Amino acid sequence: MPQITNKPNESTIRVPFETPRLAEIAYRVLSVDQEPRRNFVKKTLSLDGDVLVVTFQADQVKNLRTAITSFFESLLLCQDTIKQFGESKGDTAVRGNNDDNAGTQSGSDSA
Amino acid sequence: MVCALGIEGSANKIGIGIIKDGKVLANVRRTYITPPGEGFLPKETAKHHREAILGLVKASLKEAQLEPADLDVICYTKGPGMAPPLLVGAIVARTLSLLWEKPLLGVNHCIGHIEMGRLITGAQNPIVLYVSGGNTQVIAYSNQRYRIFGETIDIAVGNCLDRFARIIKLSNDPSPGYNIEQLAKQSSRYIKLPYVVKGMDVSFSGILSYIEDLAEPGRRQNKRKKQQEAEVIDYSQADLCYSLQETIFAMLVEITERAMAHCDSNEVLIVGGVGCNERLQEMMRIMCEERGGKLFATDERYCIDNGLMIAHAGAEMFRSGTRMPLEEAFVTQRFRTDEVLVSWRED
Repeated sequence: MPQITNKPNESTIRVPFETPRLAEIAYRVLSVDQEPRRNFVKKTLSLDGDVLVVTFQADQVKNLRTAITSFFESLLLCQDTIKQFGESKGDTAVRGNNDDNAGTQSGSDSA
Repeated sequence: MVCALGIEGSANKIGIGIIKDGKVLANVRRTYITPPGEGFLPKETAKHHREAILGLVKASLKEAQLEPADLDVICYTKGPGMAPPLLVGAIVARTLSLLWEKPLLGVNHCIGHIEMGRLITGAQNPIVLYVSGGNTQVIAYSNQRYRIFGETIDIAVGNCLDRFARIIKLSNDPSPGYNIEQLAKQSSRYIKLPYVVKGMDVSFSGILSYIEDLAEPGRRQNKRKKQQEAEVIDYSQADLCYSLQETIFAMLVEITERAMAHCDSNEVLIVGGVGCNERLQEMMRIMCEERGGKLFATDERYCIDNGLMIAHAGAEMFRSGTRMPLEEAFVTQRFRTDEVLVSWRED
């Protein structure tokens, strides 16, 4: 674990899911990958009911941005997989063509 | 009865395969093709994979005419390879494993190639030549491990070919190696190139630098070279492709033959993307026949990276009792062939 000073830059992202089960799936999927040793960011994941809570801490804002960007890429892919293959009924039909550009927009699904 | 879905995405191919008891049910693949003169970079490749992967999973299930419930295990490439594209496969594999409540297995990419080659060709205990854009290894099985007998000490043979194709601006569609092979057929004028075999190992970076100079004289500002420029002959691209192939394939044949002699084996299996090069297969076949041996090779469906090989190797691991907790389902850029305990072979 990297040493973070007592005044770190911090960012918390709260991502709601349809059910607590899906939130737990995302939590377990995204908890596996460790932050690269040299990016000096501390990432903590936790669950708050059906909300996935991710906290990033870093000494430098730049490192914080890198960590969040790569986290969003994994998060969006996980969410898209759940949308397309999760068995929760009715949801996939409403969304229609969710294949388009699903992986490139960030932010809209979170917080 | 093991029914496995495999996800492969360690380089510029993203593929999904489904196999049931050694029977191929689906094998779909998309390749990230860059413009001539450009290689594929990790970030852009990962983006390509992210956009293609879920559609491919759907297509594979449709082709196999299966429901997720019919699967026994989800497999993905754990390494070696580029981290960002590997991660795409791993994230989807983990999510599917939890959504569908199926076990998850991470597979060594090289082991996938070897097992796929053995399945398709029926080779029993061959010397394996694994040649691709990222790997060059001569492998022999012994005592529950695939042991590396010889390998490249710098770049992979496919990397040498790909980079040469970029220098002479050949198309990357369908692959740079294929286009070099076609162009080489137009020439039979051999230009002498360095030949670098060091014991059981090979080296390609020096050959690449040398042929770069021949392809683009004056690209490097080297004074000594400039004095020699008077005697530089204008080689055609076909001559260079032909000579490059002949030289580097001869090196591979040499170390493979030495491994055969050492292990007293009379079978050779060629796997990996470069393995679909017909000239390499032809040269290897001549060597095998001279020794009274036999060559096994596959076509592009199976020797170029594909999801099926991950599904098959994963199914073998699963059948022999290998399990993996989700916490260990990470990816790793370095993952040597001989790290894997081959629990599914009984010999």
